Amino acid sequence: MTVAAERPGERPWERLSPEQVDGVVERLRGILRDDQVLTSKTDRYNRARVPAPFPVHRWHERVPDLAVLPESTEEVAAVVRLAHELRVPVVPRDGGTGLTDGAVPLRGGIVVDVKRMNKIHELDLDNRTVTVGTGISMLKLNEELARHGLIYPDDPASYPCSLVGGRIGTSGWSLIGSRYGHTRDLVLSFDHVLPTGEVLHVGDGIGGKVSKSSSGYQLKHLFMGHQGTLGIATRATLKLYPKPEAELSPFWAFDDYDDAYRCVGALARAGVATFAGAVLFDEHKVAYLRRDDEAYIPQPNDVRALVCAVMYGYDDEVRPAGRRLFRIAREHGARYLGDEISEGDWAARHDRYATPLHGRTKDGQVVPMSWHCEDAAVSYTHLPAVTRAWHEIIADLRRRTDVFDDWGMFAYTSADTGVDYLTEIDVGIWEQHLDDKAWAMWVEAKREIAATALRHGASISACHGSCREGEVDLVPQELGRGFEVMLDIKRTLDPHHIMNPGKYHLDLAYGGDLGAALDELRQR
Amino acid sequence: MTQLDDQPSGPDALAQALTQPFTPGMRDNPASLAEYDDEVAGPAPVSLPDPRTREFVEEWRNASYNCFSSGHKFCREVCPVMQVTRNESWTPTAFHANVVAMEKGELEIADVAADYVNCTQCGACELRCPNTLFTGDFYRFRTRTVDVVKAVRALAVDSGIHQPQWQTWNRRTDERTHEPVLGETDISQEHVRDWADGLDLPIGGETILFVDCEAAFYRTAVPRAVAQILQQAGVEFGLMGEQWCCGGPAAEMGYVDQAKRFARHNLDNWRATGTRRVLVLDPHDYISFTEDYPKYFGEEFDIEVVLVVELVADLIREGRLTPSVPVERTITYHDPCRLNKRKGIWQQPREVLRSIPGLTFHDVDRVTQWSYCSGGGGGLPVEKPELTAAISANRIEKAKTLEVDTLVSACPWSERPLSEAGDGEDIDVVDIHEILAQSLGIEVGGSRGEVGDRRSGCGGGSCGGAGGCGGGEGSAS
Repeated sequence: MTVAAERPGERPWERLSPEQVDGVVERLRGILRDDQVLTSKTDRYNRARVPAPFPVHRWHERVPDLAVLPESTEEVAAVVRLAHELRVPVVPRDGGTGLTDGAVPLRGGIVVDVKRMNKIHELDLDNRTVTVGTGISMLKLNEELARHGLIYPDDPASYPCSLVGGRIGTSGWSLIGSRYGHTRDLVLSFDHVLPTGEVLHVGDGIGGKVSKSSSGYQLKHLFMGHQGTLGIATRATLKLYPKPEAELSPFWAFDDYDDAYRCVGALARAGVATFAGAVLFDEHKVAYLRRDDEAYIPQPNDVRALVCAVMYGYDDEVRPAGRRLFRIAREHGARYLGDEISEGDWAARHDRYATPLHGRTKDGQVVPMSWHCEDAAVSYTHLPAVTRAWHEIIADLRRRTDVFDDWGMFAYTSADTGVDYLTEIDVGIWEQHLDDKAWAMWVEAKREIAATALRHGASISACHGSCREGEVDLVPQELGRGFEVMLDIKRTLDPHHIMNPGKYHLDLAYGGDLGAALDELRQR
Repeated sequence: MTQLDDQPSGPDALAQALTQPFTPGMRDNPASLAEYDDEVAGPAPVSLPDPRTREFVEEWRNASYNCFSSGHKFCREVCPVMQVTRNESWTPTAFHANVVAMEKGELEIADVAADYVNCTQCGACELRCPNTLFTGDFYRFRTRTVDVVKAVRALAVDSGIHQPQWQTWNRRTDERTHEPVLGETDISQEHVRDWADGLDLPIGGETILFVDCEAAFYRTAVPRAVAQILQQAGVEFGLMGEQWCCGGPAAEMGYVDQAKRFARHNLDNWRATGTRRVLVLDPHDYISFTEDYPKYFGEEFDIEVVLVVELVADLIREGRLTPSVPVERTITYHDPCRLNKRKGIWQQPREVLRSIPGLTFHDVDRVTQWSYCSGGGGGLPVEKPELTAAISANRIEKAKTLEVDTLVSACPWSERPLSEAGDGEDIDVVDIHEILAQSLGIEVGGSRGEVGDRRSGCGGGSCGGAGGCGGGEGSAS
């Protein structure tokens, strides 16, 4: 396995020998019960993947040496301490639903699978918090909270299956974040196992049930979104809200993208307090959804772009807010699609994203395809240019092969002011045909997608992270001097480089000619 | 469907075709779209040495790929096994991914067989799959986890890889023509109709009542309740001439040849007694007769299969049955997986329960119940009884939050593990036919199993019709 070994500045590394693995297993059995230490082939193969595509014939490259199922912070800490002592790679795995390979082991080692840490430890109705093991999903948590009329409003597309810990490790983005904030805003504090096995409680200041502190460095953000390279969150205290009484989610149709674009901007800038988000469907997306009329709600041909907005709150807040947004939409040439489509389509959003397991070749043959999505955080004024450029990148791929299909783009508001949008292009990939050549084409396209974003002042990712092959090469360019700060922090906290190695070019923290390597990456 | 306007034509078409939104496959698309050369050859196929595995992946690779390529795992939290094990190796996603790995020669049947024990074949994953949920099956890409699990188990058995408890279970079933549901106590053909003692039921005839092994030998109150309900409504039916196990459990555990032999016997026996219609009280049998038998026999299988709970709902609606004895219980209903998730049958049992006077019914909707299960299906309790117990305990916990005293099920196979879990929480587990019989003034008799018989307040059962049934609850029996 030599995926990343030839990258500039990286030191060669080797996988553990079978004897070394046996030694690690023996030591682990002193920490965990036998049923918590998994070594079979299927246990390992099924913890090597995330939904993002990767050539199936190279699956074996990413298989870990073993997996563990700890049930407490202490057990996680003991496993990491052992790995630190033995210099064995550790890869945290939560839901395994991420799209940037955070949970994918690139160098074998121990996968720490936190799914058994799924207890609700404390529900504090007076302070409106809940403290949970990070292996719980938001769906299951909200089933319990509903009995108290409460909600934890972290709402990714993977809502039914992603876990609180993964949301912390990726600093997740929430569909209704314009109203309730994103994961970083909703997680007050958490217990975190550092790469040395020490346990840190991190939040604003003292952490616990405090939402704002000016005491000390603001470390909470540092331990969110690191893609498992700085340790493992094990127990988190979360902010809760009243379960909203009313939801309004109008869908509007437009003759063209430009009208829809102007409308979504106006809606987001309106400053309506119950506004939880707006979504812009571009012309390729509408054409794509139209392919399968049997499955989707049919629309007349002159519908070429869509916008939906969603508001949450009390009935007497949402009604007047809705009237205001309807007026704005009308002024921008919108046609309301009616209550049935609006309510049904919004409810379906979570399930829709994963729906298409088939795509089409250029001449119309239906073939099994996996869905993949590239994202960026794009400010409003750059949306049209990024949209055009990204479609052209995928069109180029399609001119060369039918392995790729353009499934259109969404842009979602990230904030309550309309400053920036999670912008995504959905690409169908015929993974059964994904050979080395097609993979190289895809990696190059990803690099170009990221470069396009940077050229428009965008961040490479609003929600997935940016540590996959391709886009990761642009991260030193995006962060500038900040990337070297990342390297310094990594080296300080993880002296033996055991925590999720091979990600984010963090190998550069451990030797080689850093200056030359960075020069090369930044010139790409 | 739609062609957007202003499609370019002529030489520009090829250059521009892909930059404009369009629908591949439409008649009026530029012909040039088919003219691109594909630069990608695709990975070289892996040649698999084992012919059985080769045949297996050929049949299942695309079905599994449709899950693998999605990989979003919406199924995970509804899976009853996953809920109690939290082990990603035992998820629907893994069950499909393994097939893809087998196609690539990365895994062999010996590597994967034991993992596939961990499935009750409840079907929740298929319902929750976004692929099934919203698109239907227009392109025949519907997720088929239950079929894949059955196929892998069959490949294991064909390859000589056995799970020890399943092997013993099926050997004993083969020897005795019924499943060994009484543990070490042997069961046999001459006792298969013992449950019906005193009910004066004929043998054979156009319509027969088929009674599954668990109900015939263990929870005999269920068939007794069913038979007497049907008698009260004036439905004519007999018992089977020589009833063998339906073969479904063998099929579920991978012993397909045995399953087919049992099915052959039953069909031949129905023919011999002139039977045209089979009444089924057990959801598992209902799956066997409506899915497996037609697959085995094709057009030859022309037997009408009637689910008793649907028939009973009809009889109540038509006024041929009128439950009138109040049953003072606070209940919730357990949707059996094979009715709700596999067959979409959830209305009729609720109709039946709503017709019973005295009941306080705290219902939980059928979609919420996708994630509920007793753990009693798919051979799980044979090989991993501890998982079945944990799944049943989960289910009872859900019932407990509703503050009910009774959980009503409609599946004999769920009732033993649920009763055992319910005992500790003081929740009685009663079959829907037992509780209906009580309301019809029937003294059911028979056994509600070890736990059920130990409890007071029964919906039929071992009081043997001594008149005490329900009496303690003040009902007029």
